[in-house]
Amino acid sequence: MRAIPTLKISISGVRGVVGQSLTPKLLTRFAEAFGTHTGSGTIVIGRDPRTSGEMVKHAVVAGLLSTGSRVIDIGVCPVPTVQLQVRNRRAQGGIAITASHNPPEWNALKFIGSSGLFLDAGQARELLDIYHQGEYTKAGGAELRTVEVVEGATDLHIQSILDVLGPLPKTEKKLRVVLDSCNGAGSLVGPKLIEALGAEVIRLNTTPDGSFPRPAEPLPENLGDLCRTVKEHQADIGFAQDMDADRLAIVSEQGEAIGEDYTLVLATLFVLGREKGAVVANLSTTSAVADVAKKFDCPVFLTKIGEVNVTDAMQQQRAVIGGEGNGGVIYPRINFARDSLVGIALVLHLLAESGKSVTELLADIPRYTVVKEKIACASDRIAGVLRTVRQEFAEFQMDTRDGVKVIMPDGWLLVRGSNTEPIIRVVAEAKSEERARSLVDDVIGRISR
Amino acid sequence: MAIENIIRCYQSKDRAARQPFGGDDYLCREVQLSPTAQLPEIQTKKVSMKPLKIGITGVRGIVGETFTPELAVEFAEAFGTYLDRGRILVCRDTRPSGQMIRSAVLAGLLAAGCEVVDLGVCPTPSMQLAVKWLKADGGIAITAGHNPWQWNALKFVRSDGLYLNSTQGEELLDIFHQGEYAKAGWDTIKQVVQTADAIEEHIKVLHENFATEAIRSKKLTVAVDCCNGACSFLSPKWLTKLGCEVLAVNDNPTAPFPHAPEPKPETMAQLRAIVKAGRAAIGFAHDADGERLGIVSDLGEPLSEEMTLAIAAEIRLRKKAGVVVTNVSTSSAVDVIAARHGGSVVRTPVGQAYISEGLIEHNGVLGGEGSGGITVPEVHLTHDSAAAIGLILEHLAQTGERISDLVAGLPQLAILKHNVTVEPHRLYSVLQEFRASMEEEGLEIDAMDGIKVTLADGWVHVRGSNTESMIRIIVEAQTEAAARELLDWARDRIKR
Repeated sequence: MRAIPTLKISISGVRGVVGQSLTPKLLTRFAEAFGTHTGSGTIVIGRDPRTSGEMVKHAVVAGLLSTGSRVIDIGVCPVPTVQLQVRNRRAQGGIAITASHNPPEWNALKFIGSSGLFLDAGQARELLDIYHQGEYTKAGGAELRTVEVVEGATDLHIQSILDVLGPLPKTEKKLRVVLDSCNGAGSLVGPKLIEALGAEVIRLNTTPDGSFPRPAEPLPENLGDLCRTVKEHQADIGFAQDMDADRLAIVSEQGEAIGEDYTLVLATLFVLGREKGAVVANLSTTSAVADVAKKFDCPVFLTKIGEVNVTDAMQQQRAVIGGEGNGGVIYPRINFARDSLVGIALVLHLLAESGKSVTELLADIPRYTVVKEKIACASDRIAGVLRTVRQEFAEFQMDTRDGVKVIMPDGWLLVRGSNTEPIIRVVAEAKSEERARSLVDDVIGRISR
Repeated sequence: MAIENIIRCYQSKDRAARQPFGGDDYLCREVQLSPTAQLPEIQTKKVSMKPLKIGITGVRGIVGETFTPELAVEFAEAFGTYLDRGRILVCRDTRPSGQMIRSAVLAGLLAAGCEVVDLGVCPTPSMQLAVKWLKADGGIAITAGHNPWQWNALKFVRSDGLYLNSTQGEELLDIFHQGEYAKAGWDTIKQVVQTADAIEEHIKVLHENFATEAIRSKKLTVAVDCCNGACSFLSPKWLTKLGCEVLAVNDNPTAPFPHAPEPKPETMAQLRAIVKAGRAAIGFAHDADGERLGIVSDLGEPLSEEMTLAIAAEIRLRKKAGVVVTNVSTSSAVDVIAARHGGSVVRTPVGQAYISEGLIEHNGVLGGEGSGGITVPEVHLTHDSAAAIGLILEHLAQTGERISDLVAGLPQLAILKHNVTVEPHRLYSVLQEFRASMEEEGLEIDAMDGIKVTLADGWVHVRGSNTESMIRIIVEAQTEAAARELLDWARDRIKR
């Protein structure tokens, strides 16, 4: 079998393994290409606490400076903080240094445009063209600008959340919250936010040292410690962030991981209760979002997978809330980005204002079970696999904008190649776990045949 | 149909167009085409004279043209690989490209698995001392020394605080050219530590090696021009510690260089004015990174950079006869001084690493070069302008002699330096042709570094620069007229 590559250069950025493919020279060149692309303006950079983060940062700073860009280094912080800073400072762009949920040996650059959104496919292709051409703007002498280290970007982030949502309404008893930041970018700002909102916080994995106390994805199987801690402290809710603090998962007061799909469901429930408007999610998001929107008589739009597709559609539809089934909540009134801090604030407000527990809230919402699997697959084989799926399930309704989504009467099934790793993702949703599992097993069986 | 197609070669008369190679004329091509004619495309071939020098003394070039961040990253990776990881110090001077190159160097070193200590803006000799007390495995100085502000360079220091010698420099180059570097994984990669202690520690070492109390008691008035370079952080502090009344100019490290960072009489106008106005006992001029020193006498006279070594040698050898190590290109005034005091002179090729090695081998009492770089072995075996200041002020304080009187007693020779810009690929052959013409005339040749010819009334030294694409001609004679004649004689024999 051919070796699975450890470097992924695509429209979602450059991602690779430190000590192998992700060399400082490559990173410097990408930063030079980005500086060239943005026209040597002001660029905000921030990173997650991975051990390789400092090396990557310096390589990026060197590349940016050499193109005559001015660099604002906001240090270790969530990706949405970088996006917010780009917008608030009217910077020309931003670079977030994070491989989000990938294992610790990975790191990546994610490129942010002047709007604070990730580069869309067209912009990203321009960037890649510049990178591959290898001719970058070269600043010398007095054209060279400096790097400014700025502290307190995360405090501003908290402030902009409070400006929109305010602190929690007074309740008899303060809400007690357990936060598991995975020792990631949310480790310091997360607890601060919860306290600023007026809740009590119990910290779990909040030492941002680049160690991974659990796999970074906030999937139910990775949240054992959080579930235990919630029960132990009789907390009202548990939150789990990923490494770059854009995604959020929830654990109920009974110590049950409710599935990261339901973060967006609860956030939607709260936001639509305040104001009506369109909801945008991606193809692999749970149908529960549509069910909640239906209650409020609001339209739902499903997009291709990828944050930038969701934000594009949100702008077009003037959506009031949007996000992804992986725990990414986008609330445009605060930040046009997947933002776990915003997610925490919305869900805590929901709890405080409704006076209900997580379990009680969920009881009013249809429950689906989502089963996700991934199988290793070289990039060049992905098209063949998708063709097989289309042929095998030809009798059902299909959405083929992104991979293949098979829509069945009692659930749905999605098969697609990952943009970030050489794998195929299989997602199925049904009313029961058994049914969802059997859908996944069925399709994997048919693919591997 | 005849196509009017005039391609005309001319010698550029526009001085600005010749930058940064100010010295000599070079060929340009101008293409004139008739506007009506249908013409095949004509490829104009540009003369390639890129200001980049990669050699055993490191890498040096113009930022924004040839010295790219990738190049700095790769050299840092190569150096990290060469030292097999370990602890590496990084310092820089105040050039505007310093921050950019620093980031590139830090990235390269970290990627290779090094533990990096960033000393920030700090003189190179302070870093070289710190390599020892921080028990580091090496260091990188980000500075183009005396080159104009658009330039930058990397200089590599080993675990004893000295520059890599030529063999080690070649090994480093081999690794760079091979392009395969050590790579740290996520579990072995280190972080950057920042410290600003190197300068304090440097002053402490200087303090221990000179008669500080004697100097303090004299309360000398001393003028200093830091050229807004790294010495802005060191020199005024050191002079204050010596109890001097300090008249500092250009000591703002965030401002651009006020003049070329080369301590020569041409760049010392401000310092002269301050020495005169402040009735200072002496004036000192620094380069950008604290290696070279220029002197203005108490009469306000700017001294040739060659005089710095002559003064230091006179002071040193009066106290203690011994070996002075200098390069082939330095004034023979030092030979006369050594003969007076029963000392001797050892000549090496041009370059600090050779001086350091010469000092170790011959147990020398002083090292230095005609460029104004002085090594005081008690402090460390590398050029250090702050140490040279200590040596000179100690003498002024202990003897009460005025610097102008001391200079008056030194041999007065005329030395002339001239640079000829040569295309990089012609450097060697131009030198060889010069050598052949010398041999034809039956002259005796010293070929230790370039070609040195000693004649009855003086000497001529012709060598390729280590740092720029040019040939340097240095001549010395008893009088300026004789020196000029000698220079013309040599220039006539260099055919570009």
